[in-house]
Amino acid sequence: MKVDVKTINHIAALAKLKFGEDDAERFAEEFKEILEHFNNLDQEDLLHEDRNPANGREASLREDTLETFENKEELFKNTKDFVDKYILIPKVIE
Amino acid sequence: MEIEKMTVEEIKKGYRTGEFSAVEVVTYYLERIKEYDEQIGAFLSLCENSALEEAKKTDKKIKNNKALGLLEGVPVAVKDLICTRGLRTTCASKMLEDFIPPYDATVIKKLRETGAILIGKTNMDEFAMGSSTENSAFKTTRNPWDSRKVPGGSSGGSAAAVSAGFTPFAIGSDTGGSIRQPAAFCGNVGLKPTYGLVSRYGLIAFASSLDQIGTFTKTVKDAALGLQAIQGHDSMDATSIRCDITGDYTIHLEDGIKGMKFGLPKEFYQEGLDEEIKASIMSSIQRIIRMGGEVEEFSLPITKTGLSAYYIISSAEASANLARYDGIRYGYRTEKFSDIETLMLNSRTEGFGQEVKRRIMIGTYVLSSGYYDAYYKKAMIFRRKVKEIFGEAFEKYDAIISPVSPVLPFDIGEKTNDPLQMYLSDIYTVNVNIAGLPAISIPCGYSRSQLPIGLQIIGNFYEEEKLLKSAYALEQDLFLYHKVPELKGVV
Amino acid sequence: MILETIIGLEIHVELNTRTKIFCGCSTEFGAEPNANTCPVCIGLPGTLPVLNEEAVNLAVRAGKALNCRINTINKFDRKNYFYPDLPKAYQISQFDLPICEHGYVDIDIEGMNKRINILRIHMEEDPGKLIHAEGEPITMIDYNRSGVPLIEIVTEPDIRSPKEAVTFLTALKAILEYSEVSDCKMEQGSLRCDANISLRPIGQEKLNTKVEIKNINSFKEILKALEKEEKRQKELYDFNEAYKIKQETRKWDSGKGRTIPMRSKEDAHDYRYFPEPDLPPVIIKNETLAAIQNTVPEMPEEKKARFKNQYGLNDNETEVLISKKVLAEYFEDVVSYKVSSKEASKWIKVEVMRMLKESENIEIPAKYLAKLIKLIENGRISRSAAKEVFDVLWLTEKTPEAVIKEKQLEQISGSDQLDQVISEAIEKNPDAVAAYLRGKEQSKIFLMGQVMKATKGQANPKLAMQILTEKLGKTEDLKNFSESIDNADK
Repeated sequence: MKVDVKTINHIAALAKLKFGEDDAERFAEEFKEILEHFNNLDQEDLLHEDRNPANGREASLREDTLETFENKEELFKNTKDFVDKYILIPKVIE
Repeated sequence: MEIEKMTVEEIKKGYRTGEFSAVEVVTYYLERIKEYDEQIGAFLSLCENSALEEAKKTDKKIKNNKALGLLEGVPVAVKDLICTRGLRTTCASKMLEDFIPPYDATVIKKLRETGAILIGKTNMDEFAMGSSTENSAFKTTRNPWDSRKVPGGSSGGSAAAVSAGFTPFAIGSDTGGSIRQPAAFCGNVGLKPTYGLVSRYGLIAFASSLDQIGTFTKTVKDAALGLQAIQGHDSMDATSIRCDITGDYTIHLEDGIKGMKFGLPKEFYQEGLDEEIKASIMSSIQRIIRMGGEVEEFSLPITKTGLSAYYIISSAEASANLARYDGIRYGYRTEKFSDIETLMLNSRTEGFGQEVKRRIMIGTYVLSSGYYDAYYKKAMIFRRKVKEIFGEAFEKYDAIISPVSPVLPFDIGEKTNDPLQMYLSDIYTVNVNIAGLPAISIPCGYSRSQLPIGLQIIGNFYEEEKLLKSAYALEQDLFLYHKVPELKGVV
Repeated sequence: MILETIIGLEIHVELNTRTKIFCGCSTEFGAEPNANTCPVCIGLPGTLPVLNEEAVNLAVRAGKALNCRINTINKFDRKNYFYPDLPKAYQISQFDLPICEHGYVDIDIEGMNKRINILRIHMEEDPGKLIHAEGEPITMIDYNRSGVPLIEIVTEPDIRSPKEAVTFLTALKAILEYSEVSDCKMEQGSLRCDANISLRPIGQEKLNTKVEIKNINSFKEILKALEKEEKRQKELYDFNEAYKIKQETRKWDSGKGRTIPMRSKEDAHDYRYFPEPDLPPVIIKNETLAAIQNTVPEMPEEKKARFKNQYGLNDNETEVLISKKVLAEYFEDVVSYKVSSKEASKWIKVEVMRMLKESENIEIPAKYLAKLIKLIENGRISRSAAKEVFDVLWLTEKTPEAVIKEKQLEQISGSDQLDQVISEAIEKNPDAVAAYLRGKEQSKIFLMGQVMKATKGQANPKLAMQILTEKLGKTEDLKNFSESIDNADK
């Protein structure tokens, strides 16, 4: 699998991360090694896919009953920019 | 009165007999922490005032002959990725350096209900990614047995805290071995319960289908008590066990292992395993046979492939679980931004450490268009295979015995430059998480250099009773649990 | 080259649950910003989703009402993308195993039946809302909507014109409203529609590049937006520039009356779907399916047929009644008091609909409307008087009798009372009577007028006319008799 700086930058963009040139190169190297290691999965017989997602697990649902989280102040205490009940961010252009 | 050497059981007894008070015990631990933790670095934050307040309440209850909770007055240290209301919970990351959760994790609620006293939050690898606690953004924890060595990870702080006598009981989390390996490195008992037995609500997620909360204690009996305190169905966690199971794990603890069948995966004992560790485990196996247990070698051909599947699945889930950290609602926010795009990009780039970024990148890659089939899909199919293989094994055996780590505790800084090497050292632990089985690590010996060696026992789903029974029998026979490290100074 | 229009729709519908899909917060519209939030729906670290069973029930009910196959085992997946309104940076949705598949809606296109096929229906959570501040470089986020349960209904590209799209949506809305799956209020966002539109030469099997249109806020806007985009694409074909049509998302700008390309979200399509590990699969038992099937009420088409049959109404009369389930129910309620169904339907179509322009709900109890209709039938009040009473009853808590008495609207239908008034009118107006007897019909009208004046308009006109005519007849006889006597004397 070819892993170069271009790939690293593409993946980084998807993950909203930014790498400098050196870091990106180093990452590319590490990636290559790690992905090569992952190839050992190919030696397994992994053809038949189990189409049944249930697989012995049971559903777990909750009732449609109201539960109010009272302390709104505490809830938004960690927000850096919380003004007049709104969370503020730089303008988003759609 | 060497309180630091006491087990949870002994502390409970001491309260009952009036030998000491909760305030005395908590004060003792806090002072010990103040004296030695600068060298060890187990804690990220302490709860001095609230701990003493709670200790006073405990003493009042004892004085008034009120009914006491299962862990009444027992101090507990909690890994800093479990949400504690009103107390900073950082995941050892710059990203959450100032994060104060507005709610308690279910496990914290349960512990409070039993009367346990939260003494502090412990150090860890950032977002639980690592095997040495060297990936913490704030400090490095040192192994109490040898301060040049790592305590293991990612729950290194909790393991070290119990080892160093800072608390008799600590909580950690295990995604690929993060309780068992530090327990082995620090010479105490680390229990990872069956996936779903302990609620994950409030556990800051790394890999949702692999994470599980567990305990660090000095003895197996303490682990049984700890498990009873934290287990149970939780309506806030859809993956938690649906029904109620065994309440008291101490009932059959001392039944012995006569007639029990133990499997020894031969692939686990091949090249790569440190000779001293191998010898120590073999010696324990002799003990098991002497006690009436049957031991048999069998094939469990999942070591290297299991590792790949583990890193693919855990990184994929982590890449999604950590996507919420963007500086908008909470957490680290960059000062350099010109628009929303750069706000998110820079907050994440500046807030996360190297290893976290590495895992996020791997995870994003294996899920990305064009690569999903090549990696993630294969890993998930293999995961089912792992479950089947273990299933077959448990039809023959009551439990499986294996090493915990292929290497002895290594030097701080030794493996930080080679991530792949670090990943390969998880070889004996990750498959347990992939399958969702319970496992326990107990000390089974010491190396020539007096470093602890751990032995892992793996059980079948929800068979913690059998698991603890086996571990107890071996532990009692080994008689190592009274050994504590002398806290040496920093070299 | 004759082109045909191919349209497929993606409709997001907010389910009528009390609480959100994965937490116990309220779904009520119009609350203060960020009032309906909790650690789960704002995605705080450590939180986990737990599925609301009512969301599943409603999704199944919608599926049944839309003739779908229900996947009794279905699962959730994470759809990963970064956007400030999405707290976890992934949306919990359903990718490859949705809850419903392969359904349809039959619609009426110019008298012919056409089937619009539904590819799938899946459950997902709504993101929050972004509000862009005016005049400031700030966007405000409100997470009240984050976590509200949605179903996304995706049609096959079976629709062939913008008008057809509106017909389909009208039918779909009625079905969803009838099944009480959603209140379907586009103005509140509980029903949203995105459209995919492309053109192709008739006869070509392959579909050409489609364009997605977003930001459509009403049925009227859907028609305009689709017509505009249809025109835009056609013009490109006309100039042999069809290659310029790229697969993109365009925003409908109702102010400017055109579609505008949206800012391209690079890698927008790499959602990196994978199964949601925090949620076990959704397993619907057969008993549950059967129970839900029983909760699917009579659908609009069935009701229409029944109304025509049972109440003898025609198409025109039933149209309005079935347009909203609450109107149909009201109609049947009124008719249950044994009044004419034609009258009831007329009153609802005209007067009730008139008042509903200003009110949200029907504010006059069915039995009061029935009473009014009966009073008209009995001649107790006039039709115009009834309309006056109707308005008062809508706006107040009063009873019909009270209002009628208060406003003195009771028609005088008591024969004795009328008798007296009419006799008086005849006595007071001998010239008019004489004129009438000589053959001037107009004078009778004049006399009626006098009667109405004397009774302040409250005389029952029919009855009054009857009595007047009778009396005038007798007067004639009397006159003839007295004339004959006079003549006899001569």
